[in-house]
Amino acid sequence: MAEVLVRTASAPLPRRSRFLGRVLRQPLGLVAFTVLVLLVLLVVFGPAFLSHSPTRTNPLQTLQPPSAEHWLGTDELGRDVFARIVHGGRVSLSVGLFSMLVGLFIGVAVGGSAGYFGGRTENVLMRVVDTFMAIPTFFLILVIVTSFGNHPVTIVFTVGLGFWAQMARSVHAEFKRFKTAEFVEASRALGSHHLRLMVRHILPQVMPQAIVLATLGVGWSILTEAGLSYLGLGIQPPLASWGNMLQNAQAYLFRAPVLAVWPGLFIAITVLAFNVLGNALRDVLDPRG
Amino acid sequence: MTQYLVRRLGQGLVVLFLVSLLTFFLINLAPGGPSSLVDISTTVAERNARYALYGLDRPVHERYVAWLGGAVTGDLGTSINQGLPVSRLLMQRLGATVVLALTALVLAAGFGVLLGIVAAMNPNRWPDHVVSTVATLGMSVPNFWLGIIAIIVFAVELRWLPASGIVSIGRGADLIDRLRHLVLPASVLAFGLMPNVVRVTRSAVLETKATDYVRTARSKGLPDGKVMRKHMLRNALVPITAMIGLITTVLFSGSVVIESVFGYAGIGRLAIEAANGRDYPVILGVTMLAGTVVVVVNLVVDMLYAVIDPRIRHG
Repeated sequence: MAEVLVRTASAPLPRRSRFLGRVLRQPLGLVAFTVLVLLVLLVVFGPAFLSHSPTRTNPLQTLQPPSAEHWLGTDELGRDVFARIVHGGRVSLSVGLFSMLVGLFIGVAVGGSAGYFGGRTENVLMRVVDTFMAIPTFFLILVIVTSFGNHPVTIVFTVGLGFWAQMARSVHAEFKRFKTAEFVEASRALGSHHLRLMVRHILPQVMPQAIVLATLGVGWSILTEAGLSYLGLGIQPPLASWGNMLQNAQAYLFRAPVLAVWPGLFIAITVLAFNVLGNALRDVLDPRG
Repeated sequence: MTQYLVRRLGQGLVVLFLVSLLTFFLINLAPGGPSSLVDISTTVAERNARYALYGLDRPVHERYVAWLGGAVTGDLGTSINQGLPVSRLLMQRLGATVVLALTALVLAAGFGVLLGIVAAMNPNRWPDHVVSTVATLGMSVPNFWLGIIAIIVFAVELRWLPASGIVSIGRGADLIDRLRHLVLPASVLAFGLMPNVVRVTRSAVLETKATDYVRTARSKGLPDGKVMRKHMLRNALVPITAMIGLITTVLFSGSVVIESVFGYAGIGRLAIEAANGRDYPVILGVTMLAGTVVVVVNLVVDMLYAVIDPRIRHG
């Protein structure tokens, strides 16, 4: 009830800024957003300031503890762990974001068409969605990676493919709901073609919910890429990613357990921030949830 | 009911058929597919012999039909790397994964429902906040990393539990030993699944809490525990069951990684070995098995709805 009162009492603002503004007014949403901004700044501008290369090995300085020279110490080949975290973060964050975009795009296109056109189109498309939902994601990803190799671009598409079906399902329901809405009918009566109706009129209604799913999807994609790289099937060394750093670290659990801590901590903080932000967005959209 | 069952069974078979179609053609038409296993530098005769050995001398649709024909009768082909029937490899590993997955599922469902109830009974107070923090952590912390940390803490530092394997060498039938090997992987797996159960339980209990029949039961003077068990949980059980069906898929994906972390020789480990060794028949077989389990679980969950909630009539 209080929520309703606050909402009606607040001054009318442009729609978009009100949406993000309300998320940032939640303490948790604000913290998550700040953490993500800092992380992005770190991986975008960090490499310019690093004095160590993430790939240069040094056989005289392996498995060093943290020091002024090496902030997080060195790994089994004498590489600077902090430099690898920053460069690995570039890879992990980009894979997460681009995979999400792939999943978002396919999901909205397929789910939207199914919901909008209905009938046979809907039947066929939704069976395809069901099929993708029935294969445990990781197996589908294994199949694709073994057949198409593990080029980073392949990884992005593969992880995105693991996520689009869920997006399609939710978008499908929303398109179905809105296709007979009065404002859509009105525009149709004015002679708008299908694409215009879908993109200009229905999509904006569906977008907030898709954004929530997409935000959670970035976290999921980062986790999946990390798992894949940890298993040796994702991003390949010497290119660092948070996942393949953990793969190396497991071999040295007894001698240098701390090596296994840093990459995982960065993954956890990043994914946590995306999930908290996603939940904050959801709370704003649906206070009952 | 029977009619509904038959229709759902049919739908499940269609989905399985599509899964097989998708995986088979993805694998066989990919540039790095089975044909790349044959060394190009050998003579034409040698190459042709290899193609014939893997059945690659026939067009892909013929191979698919042959494979499907075999699969229906339980013959999933032969492993390229191990030379054994795929179905036998699967059966060898299935037991271990089922034990791990069921233990994790029971843990996740038990603790998830409990925490969900606690959160729903104290909405927006500290127990709710604690539960939602734990749930968000479970969603965000990489499962395999948690596994590694658990190994560092409980196996390397404290030496309470074994770090890997299903049994210690030379102790094949020792139940206690098996359980000790199960504790870490099952708990780690459950921690990642639990948040889904918590979320659904919390919102389902919150919803029933506001209904008239719960208020009536309360005003009759029924003790809280009884209201919870007989009136609220009973109604919240349908969405919870639905969620448990859903997380089976997640469970399978999770066990692939967790089995590798803990060197646990189950289906997931088999899948990774096959992926690294490009053992296509095994990958295909594992994927089909996983798809079948998901379809069957969803069917069972559907049937359970009618048992849990007699108002649901499948017609």
